[in-house]
Amino acid sequence: MMKNLVYFFREALKSMARNHLLSFATISTVAICILILGMAILATLNASHLITRLESDLEIMSYLHKDLSPAQTVKVEQELKAIAGVDSVRFVSRDEALRYLQESYGEDRYDLEKTLGNNPLPDAYEIKAVDPHEVPLIAQQIEQIVGVERVSYGKELVNNLFLATKWVRVLSLIFIVLLSLGAIFLIATTIRLAIFSRRKEVYLMKLIGSTDWFVRWPFFIEGILLGTAGALIAILLLAVGYDTLIGSIQSVPFMPVVSNRTMLLEVYSGLVLIGATLGVLGTYISLNRFLDI
Amino acid sequence: MLVQFYNVSKIYPKGKALDDISLKIDRGEFVFLMGPSGAGKSTIIKMMFREEEPTRGQIFIADRSLVRMKRNDVPKVRRNMGIVFQDFKLLERKTVYENVAFAMEVVGASQRNIKARVPEVLSMVGLRGKDNSFPGELSGGEQQRVGIARALANQPLLLIADEPTGNLDIDNSMEILNLLIDINRKGTTIIMATHDRELVKAAQKRVVLLEKGKVAADYAPGEYVI
Ligand SMILES: Nc1ncnc2c1ncn2[C@@H]1O[C@H](COP(=O)(O)OP(=O)(O)OP(=O)(O)O)[C@@H](O)[C@H]1O
Ligand SMILES: [Mg+2]
Repeated sequence: MMKNLVYFFREALKSMARNHLLSFATISTVAICILILGMAILATLNASHLITRLESDLEIMSYLHKDLSPAQTVKVEQELKAIAGVDSVRFVSRDEALRYLQESYGEDRYDLEKTLGNNPLPDAYEIKAVDPHEVPLIAQQIEQIVGVERVSYGKELVNNLFLATKWVRVLSLIFIVLLSLGAIFLIATTIRLAIFSRRKEVYLMKLIGSTDWFVRWPFFIEGILLGTAGALIAILLLAVGYDTLIGSIQSVPFMPVVSNRTMLLEVYSGLVLIGATLGVLGTYISLNRFLDI
Repeated sequence: MLVQFYNVSKIYPKGKALDDISLKIDRGEFVFLMGPSGAGKSTIIKMMFREEEPTRGQIFIADRSLVRMKRNDVPKVRRNMGIVFQDFKLLERKTVYENVAFAMEVVGASQRNIKARVPEVLSMVGLRGKDNSFPGELSGGEQQRVGIARALANQPLLLIADEPTGNLDIDNSMEILNLLIDINRKGTTIIMATHDRELVKAAQKRVVLLEKGKVAADYAPGEYVI
């Protein structure tokens, strides 16, 4: 088997050298495809990492019951300030809240107050924690206070991030599907050309008594090499780019990035596997259609 | 018996190429397939190495049925045969040595066996010293010797040649014939299709005469004198 492997690789490499321009174009396409896939995966990983961090980092909004008297409201404020770990407490009146809402909708389009008839929003307190990590704990305690109807923290930003990552995923999926098809097509074309330029060899091999797989292997190896080479180039670019990015971001405090070595290694080896799979698929298509054994 | 054809017919959409052929060839024989163009010589030869399958009838090579054979077993049968082509079918980008080594590589021979065997067959066909020449640098006769060396590389029981001298002048043809007779003397069975009466007369071997897809005559060695 070893001697055969040497033979298969030699034949595959010779064939790639013979059609070097097409091989180069194929490897480049695979590389671009894998690069975009890798960037999308890293972006998604970082976004979900960021989301988990943000969920605990943000300020807490505690909405009050509508029919609270001013005295009761003050009592709530005192209780809030009494909670351990609370840094600051700010009152946000329902009018202020409506103004914010009005601004976020754009002032000219709707007059929210008119549309809604009256202001449906409750008064609220905006609480900041000394240590962002304690936000969930503090939020839990706030929920226990009489007069507080609902507690939320960081939902909006987190939701926006979710939405953003969803779009990143959808867009990159479209790109990846198109580019994968392109890569598979180019690999298939390269292999088809390889079959064509080796048709005399293939015919002789058959008549001399090569097994079907002996004839096929060099082509599969060529396809796998094309796919893997493209993936490796993409990973090199990705790794260098991402390392530089991490290096420059980590000097900014509180900016969370995924820098877990084993996780990155898993992502990179997964990408190599995908490159090789593209190669196998492209080869399979051409072998089925053009290799007559 | 090495080769047995029983009532073999081959029908192409355009018509009958072989019509109820029965034929036996023993180990060690040298057999010419003769006949006018279109008689069916190449069709018979292609069936022996199962490039074509018969429409009807049975074919046995070394007592194994080619008709009932599983796809996976076809390479095993082919490894017992060497094939020589009219147009040589040498690989232009490979040297003489590499062309012969190729036949061994593709059936998974070890590099050690290849290194031992290739020089052996090259001297057998009289091409020692041409190892590093490319086919384009050789005469037609020399190219066919490479073709024969390649066919012999895996020590076949049976050597099949379809008009091996068809592209050669009479002197080169005679030399190739003598080479084949020599190889046959060492034990390899040889089946050779040809048009060349002079060659056939000179060889004094068995001649199977085909006409319109049928066996018109089967001459024992020395009988063919026309
Ligand atoms: N692949 C094919 N498809 C259709 N008809 C074929 C095919 N191969 C051969 N034939 C026909 O079968 C008949 C026998 O052909 P074959 O090649 O065996 O003749 P031959 O004796 O080798 O002739 P030649 O001396 O010219 O080589 C011919 O009529 C030919 O046209
Ligand atoms: Mg013919």
